[in-house]
Amino acid sequence: MLRHITQGLALGAVLALTAMAPAQAKTIKVAIGHQSMCTDTYTAGIVIKELKLLEKYLPKDGKYKDVDYDISWADYSSGGPITNQMMANKLNIGVMGDYPLIVNGAKFQATDSLRTYYVAGTGYNLKGSGNAIVVPVKSDLYKIGDLEGKAVSTPVGSAAWGMLLKAAQDNNIKFQLKNQSPAVGAANIAAGKIDAHSDFCPWSEIMEFRGTGRKIYDGSEAGVPYLHGVVVRKDLADDYPEVVQAFIKAVYAAGKWIKEDPMRATDLMEKWTGVEKEVLFIYFSEGGHLTLDPTIKPKWTEALKFDHTVLVKEKAIPPLDFDDWIDEKYIKAAYKDMGVDYEADKAAIVDPKVANAGLPNQIWHARDGIKEFKTLPEFLTAVAKFRATGAKINSTYVYDVETGLKLFGKTAFWVVTPKGEFSTFLRRGEAEKFAASSGGKVIDFDEAIAMKSS
Amino acid sequence: MTAAVLQSPRLHRIREAVAARPRLWLAVTLGFPVVYYLGMFAALLIRFQALPNYTETFDWFGNVAEIIRSTPDWSDIWPIIGQEWLFEVGRMNYDYGAGISEWSLYINPTKFGLILILGALTATVVNLMLARRAACSTSRLNGGAAAGGLGAALVGMTNVTLAWVVCCATPSWVVGLAILGLGVSTSLWLEQFGWWIEYAGFGLLLASLYVLSGEPKGPDGTPAATAGGHDDHHIPNTAMGASR
Repeated sequence: MLRHITQGLALGAVLALTAMAPAQAKTIKVAIGHQSMCTDTYTAGIVIKELKLLEKYLPKDGKYKDVDYDISWADYSSGGPITNQMMANKLNIGVMGDYPLIVNGAKFQATDSLRTYYVAGTGYNLKGSGNAIVVPVKSDLYKIGDLEGKAVSTPVGSAAWGMLLKAAQDNNIKFQLKNQSPAVGAANIAAGKIDAHSDFCPWSEIMEFRGTGRKIYDGSEAGVPYLHGVVVRKDLADDYPEVVQAFIKAVYAAGKWIKEDPMRATDLMEKWTGVEKEVLFIYFSEGGHLTLDPTIKPKWTEALKFDHTVLVKEKAIPPLDFDDWIDEKYIKAAYKDMGVDYEADKAAIVDPKVANAGLPNQIWHARDGIKEFKTLPEFLTAVAKFRATGAKINSTYVYDVETGLKLFGKTAFWVVTPKGEFSTFLRRGEAEKFAASSGGKVIDFDEAIAMKSS
Repeated sequence: MTAAVLQSPRLHRIREAVAARPRLWLAVTLGFPVVYYLGMFAALLIRFQALPNYTETFDWFGNVAEIIRSTPDWSDIWPIIGQEWLFEVGRMNYDYGAGISEWSLYINPTKFGLILILGALTATVVNLMLARRAACSTSRLNGGAAAGGLGAALVGMTNVTLAWVVCCATPSWVVGLAILGLGVSTSLWLEQFGWWIEYAGFGLLLASLYVLSGEPKGPDGTPAATAGGHDDHHIPNTAMGASR
């Protein structure tokens, strides 16, 4: 009897002490895995991190009134390790490209109790630009067909690898496939040690900008959209949906910040990531390869389903229930909170061929910034003038006649017609075809400038 | 049933063989992981002709605690813990951006445990072979050695802990094959058979123990003890080679 009384008193005391203890502030962990060497992830990664946009949008009232946020960022060179870290709950938000996203969803669905949701995109290129095949700048290979029997490297499992497989199928060619990392692939291209290298954004442009590589195939030729997105662990999304919405608001705000002033943005992003601002500009400026848009479009789901079939065939990854994995409710709620029309943004799709028609050609003057020129003769005259005065030009940008893609002026194939009109092309074959039909000739950038210098 | 297994003559012979050379058994068991990881490290240095330039230590215990706390189902917990790293050494390429880990060797405690078990099994095979040289026929010794060697190779191969950014930084046993020159597509295709290859490896090791611990056979195929030979239970220590 005495023992029961003692036990009862002890239990009562514990309960009373528990009730009297001051409420401990709850800590919510938000751990994000991003990729500072993959441009298309920046609006859900480095920009949010550096501008502290997540802190700005995280909820601080209602059930979050006494909450502390433990925000951490981890930088990776590819999506695979982000998925592994998410499985171990060291990360609960991951940002990655289309192929790694699918692996993420499929690996989680292969478990009994864990899931991720694909909650938002970061950006896209409708036709697949961003991935490309590059050859050494002095190579005599100019088109995909020239790769027959050659050695081509790529990071296997990446979006660029998927594009390479499709390009080989579409063009019925066979080559020796070698697995190679972006950095080593770029170094091999610079040293002429490999016939071609296929890679994702922004590696092709880094090679072009550094003058070591030349694109012979752009992802847009494969015709499969190239996109990146955000995956979130189910437990975070279920327990704290407002936190996921806050992250999506931050993604939206990051995109808006870049669009407001691409030069300022690329200048800062160069400092944050080490990727040259002139390379970043080809992605993030008006008419750039990347359309910043977090909405999840039906076309993206189709593209991801196609990518999944490639991965199942080549890497035997598990099945993926897209209906369970893709969840738009968080982004819809975020847009509603921000007063932005989600359905309107979702319906809008940017095709570079249409959207970039008529955009001015640009010269990035080292001191005066971006200067725009409506026509190519005006543009070439200005470049010639700058060169004559010894002015430093960071980079120049023109557009491909065939695809509307933004190109470096120095890597474009130029065609001049007998009337003195100029056109610019991504690939030599199309430039030659146009030259033949117009009675013109294919020239390089320096020759084009020379024709306008007097 | 368990008692019967524990008292089986084969197990008795295995225990005897281990007990006959305990220091050798311990040296092979503990030395195996050391040689294994040093071998992987040397392979990286030779393959890439470069020294590592970074190391990283991970809070393995903390990470395991977090996995247990945040994973609802135990069936998911084990495989996830199985992927946790304790230590990493590798080479970072700083030519582009903030740097990319080109290749690395990592210590995964789960895999380390498996390699330790592999070391113990290999040590047992070695001890048994030494102990039963006199009792087993040459073909049985050779067969046991071949099965044990192949089994150890298969288990060792499927527990390689190398990462190579070329394989999209996928830490998987097939990365080792890719580094050694096997085609990447073939390596990645093989990945799905990892478990089966590992099971086969352990199966071969156990088969090796079974063969080597069997009753000695006389020339006519009958057990040596009943054919007028001697049962190796009763072989003096010198015949077992223990005192050498």
